Amino acid sequence: MTKAWLAILAAVVLLPLVVRHAIATEIWIFAIFGLGLNLLMGYTGLLSFGQATFFGSAAYVAGYLLKYYGVNVFLALGIGVVVGAVSAAAVGYLCVQRSGLYFIMLTFALNQMFYFTAYQWTTVTGGEDGMPGIPRPSALGLDIHRPLAYYAAVALLFLLSLWIMKRIVESPLGKILQAIRENELRAEALGYNVPRMKLAAFVVGGAYSGLAGVLYAMLFGIVPLESIGFVFSGNVVFATLIGGSGSLYGPVIGSFVFIWLSESVSTMWARWPLLLGVAFVIVVLFFRGGVVEAWARFWAWRAARRAPAAVRIDAPR
Amino acid sequence: MKTGLLFSQLLNGLATGMLYALMGIGLSIITGVLNIPNFAHGALFALGAYLLYTVIQLVGNFWLALLLAPLGVGLLGILIEYGGIRPLYKAGHDYQLLLTFGLSLIITEGIIIVWSPVGMSQLPPPLLRGGVDLGITFYPKYRLFVMVAATLLVFGAWLFLEKTRYGAIMRAGIEDKEMVALLGIDIHRLFTAAFALGCVLAGIAGALTAPIRGLNPWMGVDMLGIAFVVVALAGLGNLLGSIVAGLLVGLAQSLVALVWPEASVAVIFAVMAAVLLVRPQGLFGIR
Repeated sequence: MTKAWLAILAAVVLLPLVVRHAIATEIWIFAIFGLGLNLLMGYTGLLSFGQATFFGSAAYVAGYLLKYYGVNVFLALGIGVVVGAVSAAAVGYLCVQRSGLYFIMLTFALNQMFYFTAYQWTTVTGGEDGMPGIPRPSALGLDIHRPLAYYAAVALLFLLSLWIMKRIVESPLGKILQAIRENELRAEALGYNVPRMKLAAFVVGGAYSGLAGVLYAMLFGIVPLESIGFVFSGNVVFATLIGGSGSLYGPVIGSFVFIWLSESVSTMWARWPLLLGVAFVIVVLFFRGGVVEAWARFWAWRAARRAPAAVRIDAPR
Repeated sequence: MKTGLLFSQLLNGLATGMLYALMGIGLSIITGVLNIPNFAHGALFALGAYLLYTVIQLVGNFWLALLLAPLGVGLLGILIEYGGIRPLYKAGHDYQLLLTFGLSLIITEGIIIVWSPVGMSQLPPPLLRGGVDLGITFYPKYRLFVMVAATLLVFGAWLFLEKTRYGAIMRAGIEDKEMVALLGIDIHRLFTAAFALGCVLAGIAGALTAPIRGLNPWMGVDMLGIAFVVVALAGLGNLLGSIVAGLLVGLAQSLVALVWPEASVAVIFAVMAAVLLVRPQGLFGIR
């Protein structure tokens, strides 16, 4: 047990005492979503702007089965993970063959394809109105309909997801992905099949997105059209970056900041996406490196202020 | 009757296809020269349409508006490049993406605040109202004008990039920025100029589109995706490729609209996916 895990466990226990249960639950769901993206963005160096594709697809499919066929919770979660992974495999297959800016644009364009399909396929998805009436059936005799019970279930799944992700990034596959991030040509020269490794990262990231999507649908009882839209894809990129994409725990911190930020500005003003956009610009221009680095800079600044006068005079101007 | 409808949809496809090519070329110049993902391209397109609307409201002249609106977008482009993108050249695509995405949110919400969240319509100028009889079908004059104007603009962009000194510098910038800087060319001015030019082209495309499709704050969202499709299929800085890719998706969209209107936007991206399945490197083989 490291300090980070103790901090996360403390947060899991304390969070529902501080904020509304729905928001607390949403934070861990978004953190699972961010963990999946971070495997791509932070560990493999693949900037995907289409994570909502897998999140939304899983939410729609599992939501449909929950609503019309009354499948049980475990089956719904399993299906969500599979839908996320399969849709990511299809999208990833097309995207990993191109690199850099082309890769980013392709993930976005394919996201748009899924979005407009969901938008027009109103008989199934409900189009702009979303797909309401997603039930949250009991699992193993536990009534997860109560907000706190559902919070506990989601928090448990989050901890499991975090542990699995830790194992993945420390596994040989994780090391190969980091090698690709650092130097793609060298990884290829060492004999690794780079496109296949990238695809593997994509599929794992998609599975995480899918899990988050189903949990999201069950939390709010609806699959909104936005859940498959590009703004959602952008939000998870923001959350992961603001937390610090370099570390395993970055997206977890980012999820806290993002959900807190969006919950507080969305109640302030109907035009809150404007404030969100301003926040993006400010973070990008002044707080690159995310919360983790800003924290370190703050303590360095404090230390410098408290340093003896002689040291400060010696410091270069 | 049936052939008449087919023929007019073919013309529609050509007109929108040339507009897509224009968007793609603008994005291609920005992405190629500055090496950034520009997620604000769709919002800049929408801004071009709204500026056209306002200038017409103020001075009542369509042609003046068609000139001023893109210049306004270009001016904003200079500000964005100078204040936002320039500090981020060394920051990595993730932060550049977040900046342009944030800007697109700001521009879209700004449009809602300044104008209205409700859609608006804009009439073509009196000279271009009504239609002409083409023999097979009756076709709106304004759409014919857009087809010709977009073709001329694409041709103008080609002339500029291929035949002028500045165009040569820009193409060199897409190929090798370091070498351009070593040759004593002010790379920052080149970046500002390229970004502004791309913005102007997006603004023109938006302004030309306004009388056809009307205005709404989110009109740029599908346009952004389409511009990405054109660039991904054509390759950066490939003008001919942009025209081919633009016409391909424009025609696919308008022909599918005849038989299955609901799928007409999704088909653009499906066409891209199908092409990439056969040719992962895009139509012209540039990675």
